[in-house]
Amino acid sequence: MVGESGAGKSTLLRLVAGLERPDRGRIAVGSRIYFDSTTRVDLPPWRRRTGYVAQDHALFPHLTVFENVAFGLRAAGRSPFDILTRVTDALVRLDVGDLGERRPAEISGGQAQRVALARALVLDPDVLLLDEPLAALDLRTRAQVRGVLKTVLATLPSPCATLFVTHDPLEAMVFGDRIAALEDGQVTQVGPREELLARPRSPYVAAFLGINMFRGRIVSRDGGIVRIRTAADDGELSAVDPGVGGADVVAIVHPREITLFRQAPGGSAQNTYVGVITELVPEPPNGERVRVTLGTHPPLVAEVTDRAVMQLELREGLQVTAMFKATGVTVFR
Amino acid sequence: MKPLVVRVALCAAVAILLCILALPMISLLVRLSPGELLHQLTQPVVLTALGLSLETSVATTVIVILLGLPVAYLLATKEFTGKRVLQTLVEIPIVLPPTVAGVGLLLAFGRAGLAGGALKALGIELPFTTLAVVVAQVFVATPFFISAATAGIASVERRYTEAAATLGATPGYGFFRVLLPLALPSVLAGAAMSWARALGEFGATITFAGNLPGRTQTMPLAVYTALQNDVSAAVALSVLLVILSFTILLGLRFAPWGAAVGGAPARPRGR
Repeated sequence: MVGESGAGKSTLLRLVAGLERPDRGRIAVGSRIYFDSTTRVDLPPWRRRTGYVAQDHALFPHLTVFENVAFGLRAAGRSPFDILTRVTDALVRLDVGDLGERRPAEISGGQAQRVALARALVLDPDVLLLDEPLAALDLRTRAQVRGVLKTVLATLPSPCATLFVTHDPLEAMVFGDRIAALEDGQVTQVGPREELLARPRSPYVAAFLGINMFRGRIVSRDGGIVRIRTAADDGELSAVDPGVGGADVVAIVHPREITLFRQAPGGSAQNTYVGVITELVPEPPNGERVRVTLGTHPPLVAEVTDRAVMQLELREGLQVTAMFKATGVTVFR
Repeated sequence: MKPLVVRVALCAAVAILLCILALPMISLLVRLSPGELLHQLTQPVVLTALGLSLETSVATTVIVILLGLPVAYLLATKEFTGKRVLQTLVEIPIVLPPTVAGVGLLLAFGRAGLAGGALKALGIELPFTTLAVVVAQVFVATPFFISAATAGIASVERRYTEAAATLGATPGYGFFRVLLPLALPSVLAGAAMSWARALGEFGATITFAGNLPGRTQTMPLAVYTALQNDVSAAVALSVLLVILSFTILLGLRFAPWGAAVGGAPARPRGR
């Protein structure tokens, strides 16, 4: 779930968790109905089985890490042996197994976030509600926790739906199988990641998510520039070396970073592609910018001005040259 | 640099206030020799009063906590009609002269009082019993507990109680495992203040419960009585009360949970 601050992302999570009450409507996870104004169903939060992780993690300051994670199991009256094994397992799974006896004040922000996640996951929730789980972390910790989170969500022993709120397009791309855009309390678009990438239906979605994303693998390094081969094996691109780490990466090129030419200029741009225009879509509808979908290898979406479309006489079927700099590529793992 | 006249005025204010506050304490402490003090404190009448005072004030504190916690929880976490009225009602005893409280208690629970008949039917006669002492103390001590506990519970951030709820904790479980532990410094401070207030209670007690040695004569009443014929006994009792009060205050200041008297406790909060 993406959207700007104030769009209602957190409110939506709180509605699902039962911390806010909707005026009317229906909230259900699978076959479990949490709220229905027509049949007057309204489960209190403690009977909903949601794994709600607030942005600021809200670990209980008077309890140790272990006791925090054990809280829900104790509330449910589980046996001490059950609690010990489950909590230990959850802590190890989130790579905070050695922090059990610490207090929340004695651990770092990244660790606290992982403990909060363990506290929610240990209860096998129907749905996991993550409210900008990485936003409060500094950049380096964020990358690290992002990796842990990705692995954990992919390897849950009992898989559950996850509603992940973010205002970071990278996170949306990394975590969102389906992405919903929330603008001013309304869902303006919802669909698979690829669909939002290709056909953003609002200026916000276009600006924030209408980006070129490639999964790929670093195949060579030279003078601070890496060469990335796409996972789909349909092309390569040059990017600034992201530094030490594995070879598997995700590369993102913002459509505005891409410049189009009728004829290839002799140039310095490290990324040059020739291809046919497959689609021209004004963005927003009747707007001043146009999204240009290209049949290049790999396929690219460029965003150019109305003026440029007229000057270059761009039309579907026309062969053009697309260029962007290595510095215009964002690479992360 | 402040003008000289301001500095003199400041120093004078401090000096005068110190005299008014400290001189009586010092006078009490230096009046009797340690031997004489010990002799007086082992007199039966003193020991009886001390025992009664401790019994009644501890009973009062327990009752105040048991009845005050639910009220503090309501005031701190819920919105309801009549909340302001309830808030004002529980605070009235702070500003009410204790003798007035005593008269009110007499008219309510006395033999001819509003609830006196009902109590008598149940076989309870309150006035001039030890139970009456406790009732009088509860009346005057409750507000101190409720205001501190309410402030403490209200200062616990909602994200903690919300987290507890989403983890499956019913409101009751959340109260005892999250809300109360986090508000504990304020709750304990309020309990200590209530206990101190109950220990020093005089006006309402003597009006409603009377001054019967062994039954209703608590330490403050014994001081008053002793003063009529034996100043030394009065002084000895007073010294004991000074030391007790001082210990309670000092204990609050240096408690491991770092509570401040009359205020919300300092506690690190991340955000």
